[in-house]
Amino acid sequence: MAPALASAFTARARPLGTVAVISGLATLAVAVAIAVRVGGGHRVHALSGFLYLDPLSAFFLVTIALVVALASAGSAAYLRAEEQRGDLRPLQVRLYFIFFAVFAAMMLASFETGNLGLLWVLIEASTLASCVLVGLEGKPLSLEAAWKYIIISSFGVTIALVGTLFLYFAASGLSGSPTDHLTWAFLFAHARGLSAQSLRLAFLLALIGYGTKVGLAPMHTWLPDAHSEAPSPASAMLSAALLNTGMYAIIRFQALTRAELGTHYAARILLIFGFASVTVGALFIVLRGNYKRLFAYSSVEHMGIIAIALGFGGVLGFYGALLHTLTHAIGKAVLFLTSGDLVLRYRTRLVDEVRGALSVTPLTGAVLLLGALAVAGSPPFGLFLSEFTIVRAGLQRSSVVLVAALLVLLGVVFVALVGAAAGMALGPSPDRPTAEPAYAERSGRLLAAAPLVAGLGLLLVLGLWIPGGLNQLIMNSIHAIS
Amino acid sequence: MIWVSIPTSVVFESLSASSPEGVLLDIAAVVMLLCAFACLGSKLFDRYVIYYGAQSIVLSFAAAVVAVHEGDAGLWVLAGLTFVVKGIGIPYGTRHFLIDRFELGRDVSLSTGLSTSLIFGAFLTAFAFLAIRSDTVPNALVAQAVVPISTAVILLGALCMVVRRHTIAQLIGWLIIENGVFLGAIATVATFPFIVEAGVFLDLVAAVLIMIAFVSGLARQLAEASAPELRQLTE
Repeated sequence: MAPALASAFTARARPLGTVAVISGLATLAVAVAIAVRVGGGHRVHALSGFLYLDPLSAFFLVTIALVVALASAGSAAYLRAEEQRGDLRPLQVRLYFIFFAVFAAMMLASFETGNLGLLWVLIEASTLASCVLVGLEGKPLSLEAAWKYIIISSFGVTIALVGTLFLYFAASGLSGSPTDHLTWAFLFAHARGLSAQSLRLAFLLALIGYGTKVGLAPMHTWLPDAHSEAPSPASAMLSAALLNTGMYAIIRFQALTRAELGTHYAARILLIFGFASVTVGALFIVLRGNYKRLFAYSSVEHMGIIAIALGFGGVLGFYGALLHTLTHAIGKAVLFLTSGDLVLRYRTRLVDEVRGALSVTPLTGAVLLLGALAVAGSPPFGLFLSEFTIVRAGLQRSSVVLVAALLVLLGVVFVALVGAAAGMALGPSPDRPTAEPAYAERSGRLLAAAPLVAGLGLLLVLGLWIPGGLNQLIMNSIHAIS
Repeated sequence: MIWVSIPTSVVFESLSASSPEGVLLDIAAVVMLLCAFACLGSKLFDRYVIYYGAQSIVLSFAAAVVAVHEGDAGLWVLAGLTFVVKGIGIPYGTRHFLIDRFELGRDVSLSTGLSTSLIFGAFLTAFAFLAIRSDTVPNALVAQAVVPISTAVILLGALCMVVRRHTIAQLIGWLIIENGVFLGAIATVATFPFIVEAGVFLDLVAAVLIMIAFVSGLARQLAEASAPELRQLTE
């Protein structure tokens, strides 16, 4: 929350950006410390379940804190550049950092509560904070995107609230206090006593409601607009952090449903929505047009892949889903931050108007190309490994037909995404000399480059080697929900 | 992990349809349904707001009825908040900051005629009654009509958002949905933890403030902020 407090004193992008970077790194450090403490399988349970941490929450905390750290470095550079060009007024800079901090704090807090009602409140609050970021630039298009986002997400999340009510209702036959009936750990321990019919409805409503936030098709329509109109570091936060927050809620509901109704019911629904999302994502990636929309549809596709992995289930399926959550978050944060540099440099968001990025801005161009390869799932990056795990899970636990369909769709995405990125990165430089470099000062350039290089490096490491601590954290997370 | 198990006496006594509270709750629900229909059948902006305010005041009455039944202080606070914020604050704010300021009179951007949308609304209400069978609700906790009616109110709010294209109408539609959810919640799960209810309420207020800011930003830019003009981002 430090940037929010700091913005009370100043509206200049430089000091605010510095505070944001420092607190982003501090958040990451705290999250890793929590993961080290909780990752061994301990649980923290306090304030009658309102504060609750288990390995699964620690895993998501680390993932999101990593994204926040990357995005705050990107924000510091991007906002300073926009301020120097006079694109943003002091009030807008101030609002950006306030709501960026509130957005990050709400998402991180939602992993630290075991109360499903409070989880809903925090997720809705993160939606509200992020929609201010989407509409920040105040142009007709960004206001339109923000309106679409807030209306569709609020409606969706209201459905998730009804789902939460049904879950509470399903628990009304259990012993325990009313607060326990919304506490995940209590419900999970007593899942067998939940009323089956209400639980079925609760899961379906929660999946549709939180699925709206995750961007599962056909509830994804807000996503490409919001991602393409938000300032790029905010798009990185939306795509790499917010969507995962929704997925986290779905994983919690799925665990309850599996414990009472068996794996089949939840798996079937997740597979349906997952395949719908991958298909929609693949079809719209082929269209090209706006590159930020392209990356946004790629998020729809990847969220679909995670839903499919959850649907396949089993240790391999969950392992793949969680690993994919982490690798996709890093990869997409890198890609959206790259898109921010491109927007600043080329002043356009159209794929076909960006040419020769590799020669105009060598680093951004290279990261764009490698990042697109990574997100499309090519080795040796981390996403290849996680997608490979998911395919193995599918072969082990589901039919070959489904796996083959998934592979075909992934192939389509690969060709389209890498093709678009190659067109942007390679090719001759544009005839008209591009106006000015994206970042005027050296420190701005460094600040913008740091998260790109760090993120890409991490993806490469995760593709080659999974650290023992991470492996243990994921295994313990799976243990916590099964 | 140790769970303190409390005997089932905590589960509150059933609010059956025959008890006076149950009858009052049923009547309140019916009035709320009528308010939703009135909203659907009008095309004047200030009427939308009036009907929404009336619906919220009836909702606060329903919350008070349940609070009497439960003797729960948290519910009293919620009833009061509902009355002040939803019944008076939001309608006044919407009127003052949006409708009067931009001189919005008649909503002309309907996608379906008023009578057609009312007929749709009637179908949705019938559907809600058919879909909510008594066995979906595990314990007979509630007055009979409340759950199907709150479902109908949710569906009518959604219909409002679909057939009206103006941003203010969509805002009111979403608020009606919220009222429906709230009615269902107080009637079926009155013992919902207060912290959570308060959080939900806070989110709602924040959402409305942000939405009002957006609508006024859009209205300033588009003179008439209706969704048909929000068509540039389609694909």
